[in-house]
Amino acid sequence: MEVNDIKIKAFPAEEFKDNDTLQLYIDELKKAGGSVIVGKLDQLIDWGRSNSLWPIAFATSCCGIEFMAAASAHYDLSRFGMEVTRNSPRQADVMVVAGTIVNKMAPLLRRVYDQMAEPKYVVAMGACSISGGPFLNSYNVIQGVDRIVPVDVYIPGCPPRPESLFYGLLQLQRKVKIERFFGNKRIKRNYRPETLVHPETGETIDPQIDFDNE
Amino acid sequence: MNNRDAYDTAMNEITQLIQQIAPDAQIEAKQRLTVTVRPDQLHPVIEALYGNETLCFDYLISLVGMDWGDRLGAIYQLSSSVDLTREVIVITATADRDNPLLYSVTDLYGTAHLNEREIYALFGIRFINNPDMRRFLLNDQWKGFPFRKDYVHDPKLNPETVVSSEIIDVAPHIVERDGELIEESVAVFGEEDYIVNIGPQHPSTHGVMHFRTSLDGEIVKKIDVHSGYIHRGIEKLCESMTYPQMLHLTDRLDYLSANINRHALCMCIEKAAEIEVPERAQYIRTIMDELQRISSHLLAWATHCNDLGATTAFIYGMREREHVLDIFDKTCGGRLIINQNVVGGVMFDIYPDFQKDVKAFIPYMRRRLKEYDDFFSHNAIALGRMVHIGLLSREDAISYGVTGPAGRASGWSCDVRRYKPYALYDQVEFKEIVRTEGDSYARYLNRLDEIEESLHIIEQLIDNIPSGEVCAKVKPIIRIPAGQFFQSVETGKGEFGVFIESSGDKNPSRVKFRSPSLSAVSVIPLISQGAFLSDLIGITGSMDFVIPDIDR
Amino acid sequence: MTESSFFLVVLLAGITLVALGLGVALLISPKSVNFQKGEPYECGLPTHGTSWMQFRVGYYLYAILFLMFDVEIIFLFPWATVVRSLGMTGLASILMFIVILSLGLAYAWKKGVLEWKSTTSK
Repeated sequence: MEVNDIKIKAFPAEEFKDNDTLQLYIDELKKAGGSVIVGKLDQLIDWGRSNSLWPIAFATSCCGIEFMAAASAHYDLSRFGMEVTRNSPRQADVMVVAGTIVNKMAPLLRRVYDQMAEPKYVVAMGACSISGGPFLNSYNVIQGVDRIVPVDVYIPGCPPRPESLFYGLLQLQRKVKIERFFGNKRIKRNYRPETLVHPETGETIDPQIDFDNE
Repeated sequence: MNNRDAYDTAMNEITQLIQQIAPDAQIEAKQRLTVTVRPDQLHPVIEALYGNETLCFDYLISLVGMDWGDRLGAIYQLSSSVDLTREVIVITATADRDNPLLYSVTDLYGTAHLNEREIYALFGIRFINNPDMRRFLLNDQWKGFPFRKDYVHDPKLNPETVVSSEIIDVAPHIVERDGELIEESVAVFGEEDYIVNIGPQHPSTHGVMHFRTSLDGEIVKKIDVHSGYIHRGIEKLCESMTYPQMLHLTDRLDYLSANINRHALCMCIEKAAEIEVPERAQYIRTIMDELQRISSHLLAWATHCNDLGATTAFIYGMREREHVLDIFDKTCGGRLIINQNVVGGVMFDIYPDFQKDVKAFIPYMRRRLKEYDDFFSHNAIALGRMVHIGLLSREDAISYGVTGPAGRASGWSCDVRRYKPYALYDQVEFKEIVRTEGDSYARYLNRLDEIEESLHIIEQLIDNIPSGEVCAKVKPIIRIPAGQFFQSVETGKGEFGVFIESSGDKNPSRVKFRSPSLSAVSVIPLISQGAFLSDLIGITGSMDFVIPDIDR
Repeated sequence: MTESSFFLVVLLAGITLVALGLGVALLISPKSVNFQKGEPYECGLPTHGTSWMQFRVGYYLYAILFLMFDVEIIFLFPWATVVRSLGMTGLASILMFIVILSLGLAYAWKKGVLEWKSTTSK
């Protein structure tokens, strides 16, 4: 499979910008191998998945209003199958982090991400979630949400226009379309060990055994 | 003129009153009448000002925590609910930096409660006789007080972590009995209470608000407001920026009234630095402010109806809002954050078809308002969920500082555009919408009526825009003289205030934004006690607060 | 004999279809387990305390009333399919049935079960 084989209706592959990263991803998956029949089944499953990604409502600040405007009648997110914003992470596929994440909100972001069911994706929308944005030197802001959760697509802007959001979501759809269902070769994503420090006692905890002192 | 004489008599009366209680207080007539007292004189002075029949200072506009390097203290900006032009500033400070203590005014003003908790979290000053002295915006485990001048952020002391800290429902406080200070703790909830966390990740809290609610079946017994999930430290960031750089951050406070917030900051700097704004810029600023107010009220209406379950109303409101955003887009390229006001005027001139587009929008919006009235405002379910729900009395609205459409729905006439006019509001005619019922339905109708009044204001201004420059010549580095400067504007949510203390430098030494949403959220525990859980969502929708405005 | 074998075929078909669906999903689905997925969802915060506790009896009463009238509807469906052949006697007996259940509803309404009352005073 090549990057040019990923079909998004009415958008030729040359019009997308970041094709090199996707090509690297495809090469890594190719090294793992796979047969033609299974490949066709993969394409069918990926087609179904990419056209009905359900976002979780995780708008913290201004970018959330642009997300709502993109979901409304004028720009209409429902063309891509994403108008159903589920409120529970168990029912959602993609987490669009729209807004600044601060130190007090970081544990919640990670917990909601963990509670989502596989396959799940994260889109960092807006400058604040990519790098801290205008609040870069603040004492309370996480400098980029990829320090807490693994991010698939970054959408710059402050706030990004709804058209930019759609471009980012189409890039996500392309990334979903090259996935392998059988064999499950997705990269395992872990916590950054520095973030597992308990704020009161200062000791590091093991997320599998001792989370939240339960 | 009578106004000036009346103002002078009032100031003389205040001076005499204060000198009776605190003879060694310093009284200065700066931008506002400023009184500096010792910490032990603070409560008697404020109580006298509050209780005085003619002066009646019963509205605490803002409570600013300050660090002057050697002293820590607070600035109280008091006003009267019957005469909003009367303002007095009371300052107090203590030199003790290890355990600073001041007296609380929570018994007089309801809004002081959350403000004092915020000052404790950010400066470390504890208030005696405040019934709940937990930190408000930061984690309980935060080490250090970020807004102090000698604070250095150490990522090892306050690490970014994915481990949640436990929420402890115990409220420590200090009481004074028989001249002695006693530290006590009281539990926030009862032993047997069933506590549920509403938010922060919740679709109906309009952002990241956390209400810890104790429920009796379906009925709400007590709500504890936890905030700070979007606290970005904007006021502290402003201290390291120059004045033109600060404008960028005010848009991110109440982002639905972004232009109006920026207008407030620009006016504060212009008045301090004595910069004259050209007439054309004033017209453009007023028209864009009113368009921004319409888009803010449309979004408030749309999300309020969405909370009640009417998703169609959400789609309709957002559709109308797109027309306003198109006008913003063509003027200055931005939809939500429009970056138009700068110190000295506006950045972008209006495009050639601006007047045509706005004049086409006005009758279109009027037809839509009639449509909203037809299909939603008299719906039996809408009435059943809004009438007599969330009653807020006038005294509570004044005590908690709830302004804007919510305060005016309780019978308090508090429109800043009428009483402290700025830009062109003294040259246009508009009605101030005041209702007396104080329930969710009154707040709902207030917003729709205010959209009509905004359309009326725009109609009066749109054809008379004079020609001229759009921005005065301003130096790139602006310095304002030393002193304290205040400015208030009316945003879509209420009275938004800006306070700048400057020491003559190119950076301000302290900036404070008085947030209307903080007052709105502080009154939620009061008005939703005994309501059903589903009514709580309707009440928060009708009060219309925006969380980054609370947390700053 | 043919009716019982028909029933057996339907039973087996039902069990096979369900087992096939769940079994294929079990075999080929991706597996990912972490501690947080087992935790109850409470808006992102860790849960506090136990959830096995006394709850208000008002919830139970609502549920029981709904169940009663749901079962009544289930009884009405087979009557509706054969209503013509039963004639007036069928109509009279079903009306008696509905009247007896409506008396129960009227009693519950009068007693105030349908309103939510607080068990503690404000």
